[in-house]
Amino acid sequence: MEKYIQPFVEVCESVFRDFLQTEVRADRPHFIDRSEANNWDISAVIGLTGEARGAVVISMKLNLALSLTSTLTGQQHTGLDDEVVDAIGEVVNIIAGNAKRGLEESFRLVISLPTIVRGNNHSVIWPTEQTRIICIPFRLPSGDTFCLSVAIEAVG
Amino acid sequence: MGAKTVLVVDDSRIMRNIVKNTFLSMNIPCEFIEASTGKEALVRLDNNAIDLVLLDWNMPELSGLDFLKQARSNPLHKDLPIIMITSEAARYNVIEALKNGATDYIIKPVNEKTFQQKLAKLHLK
Repeated sequence: MEKYIQPFVEVCESVFRDFLQTEVRADRPHFIDRSEANNWDISAVIGLTGEARGAVVISMKLNLALSLTSTLTGQQHTGLDDEVVDAIGEVVNIIAGNAKRGLEESFRLVISLPTIVRGNNHSVIWPTEQTRIICIPFRLPSGDTFCLSVAIEAVG
Repeated sequence: MGAKTVLVVDDSRIMRNIVKNTFLSMNIPCEFIEASTGKEALVRLDNNAIDLVLLDWNMPELSGLDFLKQARSNPLHKDLPIIMITSEAARYNVIEALKNGATDYIIKPVNEKTFQQKLAKLHLK
């Protein structure tokens, strides 16, 4: 499981640098419980199918989501509008799609369209009990943080 | 030469704007037509004289790859430049797209320099 995490770390750092114009630094990844509630305001979920199954989830506070959206649109956003949903969905889409490149020696993956979950202290319930979920915490120079959670398990 | 008509296909409005702005930075006279699904893009393609398609892969209703297959099955569009602009970065994805008739392939996030190099090869000016 852990060997599948490094591509996500590298891709997340490069996507934030090249797409969102900010550096991010990964902290120590750790396992999380599959039904663990979190303190985030918004999560964007991408499902993984094909030769492995699982999901990639990016979770963050509303302020960071608004700030990242403003970077992409050049406009101020004050609430969780359609463009914020669009932006955060596209961020996780680009991270998952690019991470496939680093995983292609292990398996071929198909990624789903992103789904957005919002609400303070929301939960993302992960479908498979066996698969372990790794949360990779990231920190921006501004002090904002977010979490990229990955669960991935080869099929068969 | 007159303005080119570019069909920008992506389910993300933000990405469509980023792609359009990057394209505009090349100072190529053009007008944009947009679609947010592959299905919608097929309708736009039938109803307009399109010079270039910039095509996402993962979209609802009809994926970019399925759009590509259907467009190429029409003799009218067999030589139409279709550049895929997608987050699908695995080599097997690139190969699949090229096998099915994509003219070129750009991996998101869009890098302006790469985009300009790909467009320059089309001699659109």
